[in-house]
Amino acid sequence: MFNASHYLGHMSFLRLILSYTVGLTERCVKQLKGTLFALAGGFFLTFQSVANATISDQIGTWQAAAMTQLTGFVLAIIIVLTLRDRSYKDLGQVPKLYASGGALAAIVLFSNITAVHLMGVTLTIGIFLIAQLVAAIIIDKFGWFDMIKKNISRTQIIGVCLMILGVIVLKI
Amino acid sequence: MVIGILLALLGGTLVCLQNTFNANVKKQVSVWSTTMLVLALGFLASFAAGLAFEGTALFSFDADLWFWFSGVVGVGVVACVTQGVQSLGPSRAISLVMVSQIFFGLVWDSLGWFGLEQVPFTFQSFLGVLLISGGVLLFQLGPAIEEKARGQKQRTAARRTVKVNG
Repeated sequence: MFNASHYLGHMSFLRLILSYTVGLTERCVKQLKGTLFALAGGFFLTFQSVANATISDQIGTWQAAAMTQLTGFVLAIIIVLTLRDRSYKDLGQVPKLYASGGALAAIVLFSNITAVHLMGVTLTIGIFLIAQLVAAIIIDKFGWFDMIKKNISRTQIIGVCLMILGVIVLKI
Repeated sequence: MVIGILLALLGGTLVCLQNTFNANVKKQVSVWSTTMLVLALGFLASFAAGLAFEGTALFSFDADLWFWFSGVVGVGVVACVTQGVQSLGPSRAISLVMVSQIFFGLVWDSLGWFGLEQVPFTFQSFLGVLLISGGVLLFQLGPAIEEKARGQKQRTAARRTVKVNG
């Protein structure tokens, strides 16, 4: 009954299961890692809003906006130098309009800081997210700014409605 | 209140515009070079606006030591979001980032950390945040699910045709 070839077949079957399990675990770890990073990213974004609002309380809104970005810029330079990242040399090829997007941050930070002062972090983030997603579907719908044209889907409209409902519930 | 809402709508729209522009920058250079450029221009624009609105009063401020490290947070955002997108893909990662953002907002408002005015936690505010999160997830993951459902329907339709022919 138990001849050699049978036994060998059994072994390769085991090996198959083993490699499948390892692959599955690797994928699980990757997903877990990605999830943790994404959650941390959200935490940092909220932390940033709060920190900017707190700093602006003491030294003023424009001072706070300029300071966080200057120190962030210095750190970004250090990272680029450490990684020996030379891709900045190609910045000249980027269309001027797209390259100047960073300047919008002045208005973004001003509105964020003022809105947090006026209505708290939760409501500010809720409305920021709604505006962000609505703007995204409009840009995608018309394919503006070299984005791939995408139709607005029904679930996206329901999603935005749900968010607006959430903001209303939050406020009343 | 109305001013706050209008400013948040303006800010959110500009965040989207900036993300779109940055996506185009990233087609040519790395994430960190993009971040470096974006922060440099953000600083220059804020500096110019401060000078325009406040003149030399812009320079008279008394900063705590930790203020000078606040930029680290922005760099942390870029690092975490980039890693998340690489492991999970854009729609799943961004939806998680947004849900995490709004939940931490609620935690922060409720605890009143960092000299922020405390907003008492209520069941209603929790429900509001839950609805917003549901909306974000539906928005980001809905299209893919719709597509899949459509594909399945097409496949069943095809199978049906085969059966009829058979």
